[in-house]
Amino acid sequence: MNIQVPREELLKQLGYKQSPRPKLVNMADEMLGLVNNLLEPMLAFKEIQDEERLPPFLKGAVLKYTGAATLGPKLENKVKDLFDEGKPAEAYILDTAGSIAMTKAGDTLWNEIRKDAASKGFKKGLRRTPGCQGIDLETQEWIFGKLGDCGLGIELTSSYMMFPRKSLSFLARFGGKLKGTFSCKGCKQYADCTLRG
Amino acid sequence: MDIIKEIYDAVMEGKVDEASSRVQQALNSKVEVNDILHKGLIAAMDIVGERFGEGELFIPQVLWSAKAMQAGMDLLKPHFSASDRTEKGTVVIGTAKGDIHDIGKNLMAIMLEGSGFKVADLGVDVTPERFVEKAVEVKADVIAMSALLTTTMQSMGEVVSLVKAKKLPFKVIIGGAPVDQAFCQEIGADAYGMDAADGLRKVKGLLER
Repeated sequence: MNIQVPREELLKQLGYKQSPRPKLVNMADEMLGLVNNLLEPMLAFKEIQDEERLPPFLKGAVLKYTGAATLGPKLENKVKDLFDEGKPAEAYILDTAGSIAMTKAGDTLWNEIRKDAASKGFKKGLRRTPGCQGIDLETQEWIFGKLGDCGLGIELTSSYMMFPRKSLSFLARFGGKLKGTFSCKGCKQYADCTLRG
Repeated sequence: MDIIKEIYDAVMEGKVDEASSRVQQALNSKVEVNDILHKGLIAAMDIVGERFGEGELFIPQVLWSAKAMQAGMDLLKPHFSASDRTEKGTVVIGTAKGDIHDIGKNLMAIMLEGSGFKVADLGVDVTPERFVEKAVEVKADVIAMSALLTTTMQSMGEVVSLVKAKKLPFKVIIGGAPVDQAFCQEIGADAYGMDAADGLRKVKGLLER
């Protein structure tokens, strides 16, 4: 997986709509120079068969997947080092670049799943991540149980957080009717959500 | 130019080396230490916080200014007597139990320090009991908690309950993506910070009450 974080995208994410001071541009470039060596992006997904313990979001779907992606631990370790070295601006910029990269890794994972679904005749699907409305965080355990030893190196804490932190997981469904009253519009993060397909 | 104004400008511009050298120059010239602190360093950082809150400045610039302020503070500290209260207050800060996200919490800690607060940072995944123990230990004025998830923000209420049950004098402020003013009121916290700048403003407000 090849992930690029353009300078313009980073500056925009940092809040700068117009060209910031050269000092900031230089720092952003310096951090972007580090990013390529710090990213170890990986993804894995698996088609799920019908079973009794399906998470509610997948019930009734014709085609069901679970998937996860990670950037690996290097980037967030570097962010911590920068904070510890008293370089919080650099740390924050690098972390923001990591967040952009994570979004792109998530999109890549989704595209891979969609390609697989398309090969089986399904075009439109939905994805949701644990913690979103209607999907308990405990579902993480089910997801990683299904993915098994997929080589991502993601570990779950007792509260179902992922290590490395720059990781994501989701459930995806194609076909069938989504049961219940699930609605993105009730979610507080509706406006900013990048997961709505 | 007035040396205090030069210190003020160095912090506003986030020029760390210049802030250090101007503070040293002021000390060498026997400028009143409290003037350097309050009219130079803190006054500038207050404006930086305001401009951030108004969307004129963004986080990297605020962090530079906070660092410049810290550099100046480091030079001033040996000049205060033991009885001088150089800090605006003491804040115990951490990420709520079960949560391992710390960027927002780190930013808040840096902004608090940069504005003259003493900060005890407990890190991530902090139990309610630990927040309270530490606050008692350092005689804190404020407990500040961050959470990124709806599941982990629940433990913030436990901290408020502990503080109230033990009739401790600490104010409690909460922040983080899933938290809002309604949740703040629901759990009986004293304030909600929408972001680091707002959090800083609210902490200052709590201590003025």
